Amino acid sequence: MTSVLEVKNLKTYFYTEEGIIKAVDDVSFNLPKGTTLGLVGESGCGKTVTAMSITRLLSAPGRIVGGEILFNGCDLLSKSAKEMRQVRGAQIAMVFQEPMTALNPVLQVGFQIAEVVLAHQNVSKREAWARAVEAMKAVSIPDAENRAKDYPHLLSGGMRQRIMIAMALVCHPALIIADEPTTALDVTIQAQILELLDSLREQYQLSLILISHDLGVVAEVAETVAVMYAGRIVEIGPVMDIFHNPKHPYTEGLLRSVPRLGSSAQKKDRLEVIEGMVPNLLRLPDGCSFAPRCYKRTVECTLSPIPLEHVSKSHEARCIHA
Amino acid sequence: MPDRAKPLLSVRNLKKYFPIRRGVFSRIAAYVKAVDDIGFDINQGETFGLVGESGCGKTTAGRAILRLIEPDAGTIRFDGVNLLQLRKHELRRKRRDMQLIFQDPYASLNPRMTIRSIVGEPFAIHRLAGGLEREHRVADLLNIVGLDPTMMNRYPHEFSGGQRQRIGIARALALKPKLIVADEPVSALDVSIQAQIINLLADLQQQFGLTYLFISHAIPVIEHISTRIGVMYLGKLVEVGTSAQICLAPKHPYTQALLSAVPTPDPAAKKQRIVLRGEVPTPINPPSGCRFHTRCPIAVERCKTEEPPLRQIEAGRDVSCHLV
Repeated sequence: MTSVLEVKNLKTYFYTEEGIIKAVDDVSFNLPKGTTLGLVGESGCGKTVTAMSITRLLSAPGRIVGGEILFNGCDLLSKSAKEMRQVRGAQIAMVFQEPMTALNPVLQVGFQIAEVVLAHQNVSKREAWARAVEAMKAVSIPDAENRAKDYPHLLSGGMRQRIMIAMALVCHPALIIADEPTTALDVTIQAQILELLDSLREQYQLSLILISHDLGVVAEVAETVAVMYAGRIVEIGPVMDIFHNPKHPYTEGLLRSVPRLGSSAQKKDRLEVIEGMVPNLLRLPDGCSFAPRCYKRTVECTLSPIPLEHVSKSHEARCIHA
Repeated sequence: MPDRAKPLLSVRNLKKYFPIRRGVFSRIAAYVKAVDDIGFDINQGETFGLVGESGCGKTTAGRAILRLIEPDAGTIRFDGVNLLQLRKHELRRKRRDMQLIFQDPYASLNPRMTIRSIVGEPFAIHRLAGGLEREHRVADLLNIVGLDPTMMNRYPHEFSGGQRQRIGIARALALKPKLIVADEPVSALDVSIQAQIINLLADLQQQFGLTYLFISHAIPVIEHISTRIGVMYLGKLVEVGTSAQICLAPKHPYTQALLSAVPTPDPAAKKQRIVLRGEVPTPINPPSGCRFHTRCPIAVERCKTEEPPLRQIEAGRDVSCHLV
């Protein structure tokens, strides 16, 4: 299968007054065409910075200091700002978490979608508007012709997120990066949006990167899952392997610490927890950054950086005890 | 075992309508029926979970019970007295027994106060312990919630989200309350920290015999922590039952849909998802009859006109649906 996106040894550092924050440190993954990669981890683990690096939307003091990002074979890091603008929105689109702040409150939603078309294609305004309405129909917005003339505040959270997806979709990109697309939504609406994303992926042969802190969301839509901790991928593999046979103690801990629906069938116990807190990225421990919280920790863990190694053909973990 | 016969908190016919004013004379144009005639009991030592989507009235209900917002109608019997009949100073005295834990650990702690004064403030307000004794009590409280008492002189910004939530919990515990209303106490926290706080709340309940009203939109969390659960939709309770009754065998079509929408962290679980059409209607003009009929997959003609009462269908379980 051909890869839409290949990220190799990506390093994005933030140069702050207190020191260098290695927000993304040596991240690599492959995204085959038409598949979904789930990027999970807790706040500050680098999942959003990874997305921002791919689209080159980072601002100072953040800088990509190493690695390659190959999109359909060509390196995005060697593109000029102008060339990047042609890629963004047309070939790689983003869906953000907050559908209210991501939309302009004083413009009609149809116009905001049409703007994307006008920026990338040489078409008339009328044609761009028609495509906007068409994209709104594709994301199942009822009465799209009239809704296109609405302003964002008239729409509910779920509808706004559909507008964001329509905006991402309108130029038929090869890759959509959705950063916590359902986090601000209620569960019943979340279910609708996840279903929509999945059906669009199939229909348009899209590739999708879904960033989420919610293990349940990732389990439902991703084929491959990458778990990030303190700027690094600690485990990556097929969704079944990650959820049923986790090799990294952090992944294991995360999975055990979420309360599950149906837990009242058994006697209620305490939740298993990962002790301690996420380390300060300015003062990462030597060796494995998870070691201070890890139940498998040995002296070897703290000596030198731990490489990401294969535990099976497609499953890798950054743990010497895996 | 909790005393089944005598609930600590007993809410009946609670209503809170917010007026919407329009025009030059601020005429009342309509009401948002945030909480519209709900009732439930919470027994001593148990946790009652109130669950529902945004705008269903769960937070308003929690605050109305503490009279942080004044309810429009109903009775709230807490520990033998009707809170709605208390005068201001009587209520203030009673408030020692009922405390609140907030959702946002960043907004609920005053950034200009040290942890010592934040956790010590309840003693100051109620003129209880002073001086060295207050200092000891604050240190004890910090110990109880798993914080190092030597950090007492620090400010909130020096703490992480999980630690701040612990500070909020210490403050709520200060006056040895009987009831704690916890409004989305773990929603702002990361997964691994969330589990630590849930366990802490459970431990404290054991240790001090606390009774919780736990408000959340996160159903697995509610299921884990609650003895009984009430499901709210558009200002109404649609189903009440034990944790197992609600989560393993939901009866109301809304509860069923809500549960089926929860994503499971198991890629092998292929479940039948009931995807609800449309969105929650506005509580200003809620639908006639059953409020859920506009989205209900099994609604019949009767549901459009006749409002189903919350009625008992088996021991300890109430459902408001004509078709159950």
